[in-house]
Amino acid sequence: MAQPRISAYLPPDIDPTKAALAFGRRALPKLNEELQSAELLTQQRALMALCDLVHDPEKVYQAIALGFLASLKTLLVHQDQTVRQKTTEVLSIMALHSIGREGLIRSGVISALAGLLDDPVDICRKNTHQIFDMLAKLPEGAGGVLQAGLIPPLVLKMQTELDEIQELILGTLSNCLRVEVSEALAAGAVPVLKEKLSHPSTAIRSKAAWVLLEISSHAEGKIEVCKEEVIPVLVSLLEDTQPEVQVSSTGALMFALVTPQGRSSAMGAEAIPPLLTLVAEETSKARLNAIKTLTLLAELPEGRQTLLDHRDTFQRCLDDPSEAVQRAAEIAITVIDWKPSCSRDLF
Amino acid sequence: MEPTMEPAVLPVRAPEPADVPADVPYSFCSQPRSLSSRPKYREQPKAAETEKGPLSYVNIMFDPRVVRGNVLSVRPSPPQHTEPHTLEVKRQRRARRKVLARKFTQVHIRPGTPEPVEGREHVHVQTELYLEEISDRIIEVDGECQTDDFLDRPPTPLFIPAKSGKDVATQIEEGELFDFDIEVKPILEVLVGKTVEQALLEVMEEEELAQLWSHQRAFAELRNAEFAELQRLEEQDRRIKEEKERRRLEHLEKLRKQRETAEKIAARAFAQRYLADLIPSVFNNLHDSGFFYDPIERDIETEFLPWLMSEVEETLQKKVLGRTMLDSLIRMVVEKRLDEFSHPPPSAQTNAPSEEPRTADAAPKSGEADAADQPVAEEEETDHPVAEEEETDHPVAEEEETDQPVAEEEEADQPVAEE
Repeated sequence: MAQPRISAYLPPDIDPTKAALAFGRRALPKLNEELQSAELLTQQRALMALCDLVHDPEKVYQAIALGFLASLKTLLVHQDQTVRQKTTEVLSIMALHSIGREGLIRSGVISALAGLLDDPVDICRKNTHQIFDMLAKLPEGAGGVLQAGLIPPLVLKMQTELDEIQELILGTLSNCLRVEVSEALAAGAVPVLKEKLSHPSTAIRSKAAWVLLEISSHAEGKIEVCKEEVIPVLVSLLEDTQPEVQVSSTGALMFALVTPQGRSSAMGAEAIPPLLTLVAEETSKARLNAIKTLTLLAELPEGRQTLLDHRDTFQRCLDDPSEAVQRAAEIAITVIDWKPSCSRDLF
Repeated sequence: MEPTMEPAVLPVRAPEPADVPADVPYSFCSQPRSLSSRPKYREQPKAAETEKGPLSYVNIMFDPRVVRGNVLSVRPSPPQHTEPHTLEVKRQRRARRKVLARKFTQVHIRPGTPEPVEGREHVHVQTELYLEEISDRIIEVDGECQTDDFLDRPPTPLFIPAKSGKDVATQIEEGELFDFDIEVKPILEVLVGKTVEQALLEVMEEEELAQLWSHQRAFAELRNAEFAELQRLEEQDRRIKEEKERRRLEHLEKLRKQRETAEKIAARAFAQRYLADLIPSVFNNLHDSGFFYDPIERDIETEFLPWLMSEVEETLQKKVLGRTMLDSLIRMVVEKRLDEFSHPPPSAQTNAPSEEPRTADAAPKSGEADAADQPVAEEEETDHPVAEEEETDHPVAEEEETDQPVAEEEEADQPVAEE
């Protein structure tokens, strides 16, 4: 029976910054109503509570089903920075779940977030870029980012933003440029990326090399990369101490050397010795990419000549535990051993 | 033999010790017994009643306890003592009784309600205290209830209990109320535990994501490797195609040039042959059509020869004329002589003057002929008249000598002159 005495037990959650949650299924609808209220404090408290709830995937599903995203979209352009920050945080946590990602893409949050790219508050921008990064990992998300026309602004931001945010932008770009590359090339992405290849931070270098990989997987990207003379820089990165950088740069070379100009540029930059060292290392993660790059170079007569001396390195690769590496080594040996059958045979 | 209608009165018999073992795991509702022989005569039932001897054996076919008919339908349980005597049960019992009565005429039907008198009808009536509607279907009524929608719990109002009593102070020494170190432990445990739990959750979340992304990254690497291989092969294919195309074009060009050269040679050879006798033929043609002419020859041909021919023609004509003249002269002479010979001549003297007039006639006649001829041959007057005169003289000289040959000549000449 209710007694007029204060209970010895404290209420379970006495955080005054968070709104009180209703019981069971009523929690999220009540929070939705509080989000739409006119009072600032109520909105902030509701957002704080929502941030905690949204870690649970079931709550995310329920929230999206209840139409939270519409109210959150209106809050994105609120004047108060706490509201904006918390909203972006909620959306970024939602984007960590697959259901959340789908919901965000469907309700067009990407275009709503485009306005936050220039937000004065760092955290808001960071959360925004986190959301883009997460969303771009899905093909539909990457398409959404492309359709919202975000690539040129992102490329511009690369030059001005903080390092952390640059990493996120590079992640977004790498996933989006896998799909389509013309916009980025028009915005002048390759020179910017070439600069970033010599950044002191490892993560930025490896991510920039990864973006170049994605760019060079398209035909027009390859031409641009050759023209901007990125290949010598990539070759110099092969000797980098960090394995991620090595992996990304070998990957980028793997794609960029498909064109004849790329190959001649690489031969000019003397790419074969560092690639051979990478292949010879048993535990190198860049082995697969290095073997593929050397295969491309072995199609040139000069390359083949040099590589015939190092044939046993490839033989040793056949014992690698990874099946992909074995296959790649077999193909490489086939290409190296190819002999022309008549004087007019070129390849 | 009275059939046992009350199953409660069961014919219980002690089990025969000889046949049935003492610790039998099952028991019978009615112990198995052998059937007794049916008595022939009906006086037996009284004896069975009074004696209460071995109860009559019931034919299993007419044993009411044996279930008959469709075993799948729901049957009421066998009538028991405690069951209310419902209409249905009563009817069935009566039916069974009637059946048995037909078989065993000695059977006593239990006295039941007598049949209704004529004109009356029996009605079943419930005689219990509480009347009850009897039906097969149980009457059901659906009812539902629901709690109201939750009203939002209003925020807990700040509760400050009213002050009651007097404030009194007490001195509390350290260590009297509680031992902080011991008391704080559970609180600390909870605090630290909750914090660590929250932290673990966050770390797990991040780790899960990191795992996912590393998995994706590994896949992306494989995919990129395959894609690069694909592009390499594509590029190779493109180069080979291009080279093939180039060589094919080269080959076509070569063939074309060869063909052209062959054609040129053939054309040249043909043209040479064709034109080999072009010049001779041209020259021949021209020559034939008279372009190349010797001017002297031409001159001779165009001028001299026609002139010569015309002159020759003239000369011949003159000759012809002369002959014609002679012919006419001879004719005249012959005619005259004929005239003269046919008519006797007056004198021989007249012969000579006749000859002279004849010659004089001939001379003017020749002169006339000359005058006639002169327009024909004007040009060579000087030469020809001399020749003519000479020629006319000859035939005159000849005619005198021979007359008949002259006549023959005349005859011969006339056809010639006619010609």
